[in-house]
Amino acid sequence: MTRPGRDEDPDRLYTVTGGRSRSAAGAEAFDLVTLVVSESAPVRGMQSEHAAILRICRFPTAVVELAADLGLPVSVVRILLGDLLAQGKITARHPRRARTADALPDPDILKQVLVGLRNI
Amino acid sequence: MTSPEIPPPPASGADGTAAGRSGPAAGGDPTVPAGRGAAKGTALALLISIVVAGAACLITVQTCADSARTAVAWGTGAAGAVLCAAVAVAVHARLTSRSLRSQVAAAQARAAERDAADARFADTTVPGVVERLRRGGSAETALAEAPPVVSEAQRRVLTALAHEVHRGETLRAAAMSACANAAGRVQALATSMAADLREMEHRHADEDVLGDLLHLDHRNAQTGRIADSLAVLTGARSGRRWAKPIVMESVLRGAMGRISGYQRVRLHSTSEAAVAGHAAEGVMHALAELMDNAANFSPPTSEVHVYVEEVAAGIVITVEDGGLVMGDVALRRAEQAVSGEHGDLTTLSGTRLGLAVVGRLARKHGLQVSFRPSAHGGTGVLLRVPHELVTEPRHEERTEVPAPAAAVPPAPRAERSAARPTARRQDNTAAVHSRQPERAGPDVQRSPGHDRREDTARTAPAPPPQEFGESGLPKRRRGQTLAAVARASATSSRLPEPAPGAEQADQRDPTAAGEAAGGPTAARSTPRPSGARFGDFRRAVQGAGTEDTGRRSRPSDSSPARSSSLSEDDTE
Repeated sequence: MTRPGRDEDPDRLYTVTGGRSRSAAGAEAFDLVTLVVSESAPVRGMQSEHAAILRICRFPTAVVELAADLGLPVSVVRILLGDLLAQGKITARHPRRARTADALPDPDILKQVLVGLRNI
Repeated sequence: MTSPEIPPPPASGADGTAAGRSGPAAGGDPTVPAGRGAAKGTALALLISIVVAGAACLITVQTCADSARTAVAWGTGAAGAVLCAAVAVAVHARLTSRSLRSQVAAAQARAAERDAADARFADTTVPGVVERLRRGGSAETALAEAPPVVSEAQRRVLTALAHEVHRGETLRAAAMSACANAAGRVQALATSMAADLREMEHRHADEDVLGDLLHLDHRNAQTGRIADSLAVLTGARSGRRWAKPIVMESVLRGAMGRISGYQRVRLHSTSEAAVAGHAAEGVMHALAELMDNAANFSPPTSEVHVYVEEVAAGIVITVEDGGLVMGDVALRRAEQAVSGEHGDLTTLSGTRLGLAVVGRLARKHGLQVSFRPSAHGGTGVLLRVPHELVTEPRHEERTEVPAPAAAVPPAPRAERSAARPTARRQDNTAAVHSRQPERAGPDVQRSPGHDRREDTARTAPAPPPQEFGESGLPKRRRGQTLAAVARASATSSRLPEPAPGAEQADQRDPTAAGEAAGGPTAARSTPRPSGARFGDFRRAVQGAGTEDTGRRSRPSDSSPARSSSLSEDDTE
């Protein structure tokens, strides 16, 4: 692993984001588990992070996972995703967790069904 | 001589003998004062001429008639006296001039000799001494090794010079090493601070904090560049060495990040080449100086464009600005500065260090820098990185674009439609699988859960990484969790589930949990690793919600679940 106090990457994050610290798409556009899907293939001459995102997101990928893959902080990945979203190269899908949880049958009902089945 | 009528001959003859005798004396011994030699010679000549004239007078008086004897005696006596005086004067003058001439010649010879000694002193001795002092010798050593000097004055000059030069040299060396040392410390601080800042940037997600950190990071990088410049100029070790080749994009961004106006720099690069690790820092630094120049000498609103071109002899990086066109004189001065001909700091102007730094770096790494008018109206600088420093990047993402694009152009859309439900389903199974080991611990009787746990344990720790990279080699991704790896290994051993099934699952979203609960095998065989991975993350990120799902799907899946279903039965 890297020694502490050493930095093995010449890319500074402000050059990756062009000096921006907040996403053009707004903070709420992407949360940690937003699924990102690329809409186009990477193009030559693209910023390498953008290309990498498009490549990884051929399959729906969560923002945290992108960050882990790229080795970048989530906030920086959000900024990059904001760029791509503005260019229409990706789409974002929010997992509707709350609604799904609501839609799932109540445990009590399931329990009753189970009991009913056993009683048959 | 014997003829009585002509007195001069004897006189001239006497003169000749006198001259013949005094000549060698005057010439042979230049140290004899001219006056004495001349006086001796003159006296001799006078004596001889008196004798001869006297004899001639006597003979003439004897031979002439008695009547005229008195007159003749007076006449010849007077003539003899005059003759003698004339001879004496002539001989004296001749002797004096001769001795003076020889003295002049001697003085000239001495002067020439002294000139030669002076020339030797100036051309050989002094430069030799200075050279020895420059090489670090002490003043005494240098003076001892110097060839002997002829005069006391030269010796004094040489001593004073040696001490003065030695003092200057010591001062210079001390100043240089102090500067180099200080620069090295600042470099080290800047480097470790950069690492700290990066770590903090990873730690703080808040946008305001991140903004501040990025700002600090930028300032720190500029500080680092100035320290690097000082280190280069003072001949210290360059700041950093990268262990791996650095791809061109990173080199450009690393360079651009070190200047104040980095947001005005536009990179146009499609090059995938990389610069060898040992030279990458130098190239970055030289580029940063050139970009800084370009940004400083162009209007603050204009952009600086950087182009990369791969040529046979290496890589040419062009930095173009829209500022002023350099005049002839400035151009010549700039070219001279970047040529790196001057090894020392004599041409340094004090305020403009950039080009001198570029020159030093260019000489060190064999870079070539040239200037030309820019298409953007300003000046363009071309930096050529020689072929020896260019390598292929040691990167796994080389085959990025063609393969997937050609293979599955419309895939993403179709997959996306199927991805979500399966992702959810996978979520459940993933929860089940990953929960196996920890769950099995507290609330389960040993025997039924044991084999199952062992199974999981066997597949989990040493999973063959089953996700294949584009290069055809198996590849483990960084964010991959234990459960995902285990499942991936299971998945790869089975045939992928046909897509229609997955699409059907779309409609049966609420039942997905039940389906997953019904058969772990069916759920495992879904070819949706990314969905499953997402599930892992979702579970990791949101604790309670998914845990519910996991618990709900757990009962019929495995032995640990049975305990809970039993307990449910008990509660009934």
